[in-house]
Amino acid sequence: MTDWILFIPELYTLAAAGVFFFFCLGRARPGRDYAAAMVLSAAGLVLTVCSAGFEGLIFEGVYRVDLYSQVFKVLIYSGFFLVVCLCADLSGVDETRHSEFYLLLCLCTLAMMLLASSVHLLTLYISLEISSYSLYVLVYLRRGSSQRVKPAFQYFVMGAAASAVMLFGFALVYGAFGSAHMAELMHQVPARIHEPLVFTGFVLSLSGFFFKLAVFPFHFWAPDAYEAAPHQVSAYIATASKVAAIAILVRMIALTGGQGDRVAWVLIFVSVASMTAGNLAALIQKDIKRLLAFSSVAHAGYVMIGILSANAMGYAGAVFYGLSLMVMKFVCFMVVVKASDGGRNIDTEALAGLHHRAPVLALALLLALFGLAGIPPTIGFTAKLLVFRAAMDQGLLWLVIVAMFNVVISLYYYLLVLKAAYYTESEGRPREVALSVPLKCLAGAMIFLMVAGGLWPGYMIVLAESMTAGLLP
Amino acid sequence: MDMTVYAVFFYIIAALIIVSAGMAITRKHMVHAVLYLVVSFLATALLFYLLGAPLLAVFQVIIYAGAIMVLFLFIVMMIRPAPAGERSLTAGRLAAAFGVCGIYVAAALVLAFMAAPEAGRPMAAAAASPFAFGFYLFDRHWLAVEMVSLLLLVALIGALHLGRAGRRNQSERKEPL
Repeated sequence: MTDWILFIPELYTLAAAGVFFFFCLGRARPGRDYAAAMVLSAAGLVLTVCSAGFEGLIFEGVYRVDLYSQVFKVLIYSGFFLVVCLCADLSGVDETRHSEFYLLLCLCTLAMMLLASSVHLLTLYISLEISSYSLYVLVYLRRGSSQRVKPAFQYFVMGAAASAVMLFGFALVYGAFGSAHMAELMHQVPARIHEPLVFTGFVLSLSGFFFKLAVFPFHFWAPDAYEAAPHQVSAYIATASKVAAIAILVRMIALTGGQGDRVAWVLIFVSVASMTAGNLAALIQKDIKRLLAFSSVAHAGYVMIGILSANAMGYAGAVFYGLSLMVMKFVCFMVVVKASDGGRNIDTEALAGLHHRAPVLALALLLALFGLAGIPPTIGFTAKLLVFRAAMDQGLLWLVIVAMFNVVISLYYYLLVLKAAYYTESEGRPREVALSVPLKCLAGAMIFLMVAGGLWPGYMIVLAESMTAGLLP
Repeated sequence: MDMTVYAVFFYIIAALIIVSAGMAITRKHMVHAVLYLVVSFLATALLFYLLGAPLLAVFQVIIYAGAIMVLFLFIVMMIRPAPAGERSLTAGRLAAAFGVCGIYVAAALVLAFMAAPEAGRPMAAAAASPFAFGFYLFDRHWLAVEMVSLLLLVALIGALHLGRAGRRNQSERKEPL
C-alpha cells in the first residue's frame, strides 16, 4: 500500500504542471502565466518545506523519502522559485511560448524531485531523462533565429550519448548483481567493486550524472548551452539542475561504501581535469554567461573532491557546496538578467558602473563572486573548507594543493568581473538598472544567506551531516 | 576449442550485425541506411533468441525493427533531406572517433586481463514469460511506467515546438535579434 501523503509535493508539482498545460491550450497571456508561476512555485516551496520531516519507502520500495531527499527537494524547489522570480522580464522567450516555458520548468523540477528520491536504477534513469529532455527544449526556446539551433542540438546529442553510456553501465551493474535496487546494491557493491565488470559498469553509469554536473569529459555542452539559452534557463541549469546532480552523484558514490579505490582514482582524474579545464577556459571568456558556464565546470571539480573523499565530512561538504553554489550562481544570473537589455547576452563591460546604478545588486554580486572564489567570510569559503578538509582526512593533500592553485587562477577572472562592476565607469549614458522592491528584498536575503553561511554555518553543516548520515555504511 | 552449432550461429549473426551497422552509417542515401539498420536490428533479435531470451527478441522486432524504423522512414520521406554533397566524415573526425573508441576498448581489455580468471562468471539465464514480465513491470515498477508517460509528454512538446518554429521561420524570414 502506498502512503500517498509522502508523495504530496510531487503530486502538487504535477498538478501545477497541469495548470500550465491548460494555459498552453488557450491564448497566450504572459502576465497571467507569470503570476500563476509565482504563486504556484511559492506555494510549492512552502509545501516542500513542510514535508521536510517525511520519511518512508513507497511504490514497492523504489521511492525513498527521507531527510536527504526531502532537503534536496527543498533546495531544488527553491531553485525553481528563485528562477521564476527572475521571469518578470522574460524577453528571451517568445511571448506565445511563456506557458510552455513554465510547463517545462515545472516538469523539470518534478523530474529532479523524483530523481532525489529514486533508489532504483530504472526510476532514476527515467527521471534523469525527463529533466534532461525538458532542459533540451528549454534551451531551444530562446527567441531568435539560427544561433540557438546548433547549441541546443549539440546539448541534445551529447546528453543522449552520455545517457546511452550510463544505461550501458547500469546494464553491467544489473548483470553483475541481478538487482538494480540501491538498498541491495549497497550491501553487495563494496565487496565486489574491484571486479572489472562491476568497476566498468559503475564508472560508466556515472557518466550521465557527470553530464548533468558538467564534469570534465562531459562538459563541452555547457558554454554553448548557457550562451544560447534564455538567461532564466541558464540560471536554472546552473542552480537547481546542479543541486539535483550533486544529490544523485553523492547517493551513487555512497554505494561503494568508501571501498572503491580505483573508482576514487577515476574521480580524482575527472575532478582535477574539470577544475583545470574550467578555470583556464574561463580566463579568456568575454560573455558573462560563458564565463559562468566554465566556472560551473570548475566548481563541479571542487564538488567532486568532497564526493570522492567518501567520508562523512566529504558528503556533507558536497551537499553544503550544492547549497552555496545555488545561492552564488543565482545572484550572478540575477545580475545578468537585470543588466541585460531585452534578453540579449552581455559582456563583462556591460556591468560598468553597476555600483552606481544598483548598489544592492552590486553588493550581492561582490559577495557572490568572493564566494565563488572562496574568500572568507562567505558561504563559498565554508563550502571549500569542508570539501578540502574531507580530502585532507583521506590523505589527499596534493589534491587540495592542486585545487588551491585552481582557486588562485579563478580569482583572476572573478576579480575582472568585479573590476568592471566597481572600478570601471560606464561610457555614455548606461541603461538604468531598475530593481523592484521584492527583488531588492530577494537580493538582500541572498546577501544575508551568503554572509551567514560564512560566519555562522554551524546549523547548515549539522543539517548536511544528518542528511548524509544514512548514506554511510 | 570446440565450436558448437550455437557458437557458429553466434559468430555469423554477430558479423551480420557489424556489417549491416557499418553499411548503415556509410550509406549516402538515407532510405538505404534505414533499411540496413532494419537488417541490423533483426539480426540482433536473432541473437537475443539464440541467447535464450525469446521475449526480448520479440520486443526487438516489434519495437525497433518495426515501430521505430517505420518512424525513421516516415521522417526521411517527409523531410527529404538533400543528399549530402561532401562527406561530413573527414579523415580527422574519423580518426578522433576511432581514437575515442580505441581508448574504451583498450581500457576494457586491460581491465579484463587484470582480473583473476575466476572473476568472470556466466550470468544465470533468466527467461521471462510475457505474463511474468508484464506482472513484474506493472506491479513493482508502475511508477516508472507513469514517469515514462511524462517523458513522452515532454518529448511531444519539444517536437511540436520544433515543428512550429520551422514553419514560422519559413513564413517570416526576418526575426529580431
